[in-house]
Amino acid sequence: MKAFEYATARSTDGARQLLSDNGAYLAGGNDLLGLLKEYLVSADILVNIKSLPGLNQIERGDKFWTIGALVTVAELEHDAELANAFPGLHDAAAEIASPQIRNVASVGGNLAQHSRCWYFRHRDTVCLKKGGDLCYARHGENRYHSLFTGNDCISPVVSSLATTFAALDATAVVLRNGAETRLGMNALYQKAWTEATAHNSLAPADLILRVEIPTARPRSAYMQVSDKHTFDWALVSCAAAADVVDGKLKQPRVALGSISPVPHQVEAANDFLDGKTLDDDVASQAADQILKGAQPLEHNAYKIPMARALIRRTLLKLKG
Amino acid sequence: MASWPAQTKYISHPTTRIDAVPKVTGKAHYSSDIQADGWLYGMILRSKWPAAKISGINLDKARQVPGIQAAVKVRDGEFTVRFYGEELAAVAGTSKQACLDALRAIEVKAEPLPFVVLEDDARKSDAPKVWDGSSNVSPGRPREKGAVDQAFSECAAVIEGFYTTPVQIHHPMETHGNTVSWTDDGLTAWSSTQGISSVRDSFAGALQLDQSKVRVLTDFMGGGFGAKFSAGVEGVLAARLSREAKAPVRLMLTRFDQGLAVGNRPSSFQKIKMGALADGTLHAYDGENYGTAGIGAGGDSGGGGGGADIPMPYLYTVANSRVKQSAVAVNAGSSRAFRAPGHPPASYGMECAMDDLAVKLGMDPVEFRLKNDPNEIRRRELTIGADRFGWKEKYRPPGTSPGPVKVGVGCAGAAWPAGGPNRRTQGEAQINPDGSVEFRLGVQDIGTGTKTVIAVVAAEMLGLKPEQIGVKVGDTRFPPGPGSGGSTTCSSVSPTVYDICAKALEQLQAQSGIADARGENWFAACKKLGVTPLTVSGQWQPGLSSSPAYGVQFAEVAVDTETGLVTVRKVVAVHDCGLIIDTLTLESQINGGVIMGMGYALYEERVMDDLSGVLLNPNFETYKLPGIADVPEIQIVLLNMPERGVIGIGEPATVTTAGAIANAVANAIGARVPGLPITPAKILNALGRAPAPLST
Repeated sequence: MKAFEYATARSTDGARQLLSDNGAYLAGGNDLLGLLKEYLVSADILVNIKSLPGLNQIERGDKFWTIGALVTVAELEHDAELANAFPGLHDAAAEIASPQIRNVASVGGNLAQHSRCWYFRHRDTVCLKKGGDLCYARHGENRYHSLFTGNDCISPVVSSLATTFAALDATAVVLRNGAETRLGMNALYQKAWTEATAHNSLAPADLILRVEIPTARPRSAYMQVSDKHTFDWALVSCAAAADVVDGKLKQPRVALGSISPVPHQVEAANDFLDGKTLDDDVASQAADQILKGAQPLEHNAYKIPMARALIRRTLLKLKG
Repeated sequence: MASWPAQTKYISHPTTRIDAVPKVTGKAHYSSDIQADGWLYGMILRSKWPAAKISGINLDKARQVPGIQAAVKVRDGEFTVRFYGEELAAVAGTSKQACLDALRAIEVKAEPLPFVVLEDDARKSDAPKVWDGSSNVSPGRPREKGAVDQAFSECAAVIEGFYTTPVQIHHPMETHGNTVSWTDDGLTAWSSTQGISSVRDSFAGALQLDQSKVRVLTDFMGGGFGAKFSAGVEGVLAARLSREAKAPVRLMLTRFDQGLAVGNRPSSFQKIKMGALADGTLHAYDGENYGTAGIGAGGDSGGGGGGADIPMPYLYTVANSRVKQSAVAVNAGSSRAFRAPGHPPASYGMECAMDDLAVKLGMDPVEFRLKNDPNEIRRRELTIGADRFGWKEKYRPPGTSPGPVKVGVGCAGAAWPAGGPNRRTQGEAQINPDGSVEFRLGVQDIGTGTKTVIAVVAAEMLGLKPEQIGVKVGDTRFPPGPGSGGSTTCSSVSPTVYDICAKALEQLQAQSGIADARGENWFAACKKLGVTPLTVSGQWQPGLSSSPAYGVQFAEVAVDTETGLVTVRKVVAVHDCGLIIDTLTLESQINGGVIMGMGYALYEERVMDDLSGVLLNPNFETYKLPGIADVPEIQIVLLNMPERGVIGIGEPATVTTAGAIANAVANAIGARVPGLPITPAKILNALGRAPAPLST
């Protein structure tokens, strides 16, 4: 990697100032250091944000919980109250990478992580996402790639927390140009839907401060399938959340990861599920709606039946 | 003729590795831990083109990078590179970062050439030629036995299958590399190798040094699996850097490098047609196989070529057979010998065909094998294994397990005919008047427990405890031993230690006058040596070792037919290796063989990109290896056969696992997944659940 300066920020304003024109925020560093080592990004300064006050708390509330951006994935995994309030979020956290990585990975970093596409990550290919003029994956090895996209890049979002936050209708609070901006998961990733070079909607100086999760959906679930049993990226992930009143779903939401540049959500399917009593047939119909219009490529059509199974199973878990 | 003792205290019993404590506490210094005085980092610049004409390499700017003390080209003048990752130049400097910066400062003039990286593309007549003027496809050597076409017409059942295996990359936990110090006095290399002698000779040959001027040291090393027999391009570059920098240079490959240029197991594409008579006798076989060894087999490998040919038909007797094989050159790194070269793909292809044919015949797959396996030991292993595994209770017709998560069982067999002991193995021991003793053998312990084997045999023969035996290996100044390949180290070393001990006891008796110097008499006898230690040389003796080894494994899997996830629940591994020396290190070898075979079955695959020509998975993120959560219960059943002498186990232990798992998966889901690795994607495709892709 290229040489860089290093500084520790004590306040969010200070962090922004230290960042200057070509800096990067450093929390867990799992993603950033990999990108720097492969010369995929460069930074003149790394601004350590781990000492920013107040961002490492999980705050419990009646209407919503607040998860600080510096809370580690391991803390999400091991918080017993959180596992009770948001079982899907617990399960998503517990599936991420390895215990060592979860110990240092931050919630903010997980949301902001860049593409895992093996063409993007390769030091000697210049793909569309890196400013080249060709998506190699589209005509090449696309087994891990998207079924949906709004542009020519088919690199999917891989943050399983984003998938789960989407189902929980959570909001990321982002410090942007000195002011707090609230972005739902759609908005947080929207730019990746339309622009090949983007992997989320954040500008370099934007700083995720926290995530607010409404408590309106006490039932939630998360499932993923990987090639391996642990420490492997999801081929497809699925999160679902709802309240269940008299056996009927209330405000249900389903989101999928690893099949689109954004957490894949279909509002019509959420509407369809609203008020329904869950059974296999209802879940299957929802799956059909959610996967309608999928555009399988040479090597990723398997993701459709896999996603269908995950949607069904994840939804049925909401029955408790 | 020499013979092993009938009653043993340590041989055939479990002994903890004598170096277990230093290994688990980090006190053991592996080759990559060596810090010679004043050492520098070394790094290699590799071709970013899959094929190119290189007309110039300019190192001037690299030399100017602060901290850089040497820079060398692989060669001068114009030359052609033929795969992504081929070595171009190397630098040595005071930090990793200095080296990285210097690599980026090297200017390379290159004219890219057409290339081809996929087997089926390379076979096309209009494919770019990997080697000018010669076909990408070797002519092969067709052979035929009996009257195959007529024999098929006599069969009651015939199957045709296409079974494929990917290129598997050698990924030992310790990458290839050395620390090399080359001065006017000679060259010393601390090498991560499985053959200190072959490394010494390859350094001497490449650098035109007397072999006596080269010393290779390997105290602890982290695995080789057939790819680490030579100094390699990386070793020679480290030596030249050391010469130029006048300092030792440590050049260990990065994990990225490891995937590119230092070995792999060739792929196989096996088209097998096979038929049996109504009574289940195999009668006709027609097998065609092609696979790639990259730009060519055996690049820089002292451990056998590791070519694309495999033994066909594998294991079983077929009266009428026709075999045609060819190697396909592609622009990718060369293959090398890889743990049982040729056998895991051969076992996989044949054993899949066996199960498919058994199903078509309506025969139990174990019965079908018992009928057609000519080998008595393996038939015994099949019978014992079936019993331990509970085959009769577990086997059900393919795809009939209830529910979406389907359970299946399968089995497969192995033979490891190669090798046999190295008959020129030598060693020595120094016995001191205080009774302490040190054995010195010019072999290396590649993680299999060779040091412990030496201690166990010596303890048994001398009537001491293994922890009382000093063991030194991994130094070319010791009496020469074999390279650790072909599962031969144990059967080479054990008789040698036996001989040293027998001679030591004879001499001790003569010098001390004590009739039996073993055990409780040992110290008294040694004391009679006075002030002069006794040194004894010995060598391999006949009658104490043999070959080959066989083996059968059974696997039980659960396959989620909706998500495609395969879970291996249990493997029963039944193995023979003659006289067992240490049951613990033996079981460890088999555990490792099963886990490696499982990686081959379910996860591992070199993925090349046809458009850019690069290796897409040069890391453990996407070159997937089994983790502990993937590993099943492994039940090991050992046949101890002292009458056969010592036989190696390293290779047969990994041959059968993939075939057994593949058959278990087919039995579970009622469909054959055509090709390894058996991923969730391939399961869903085989079940017909994935829709056709949109045309792009």
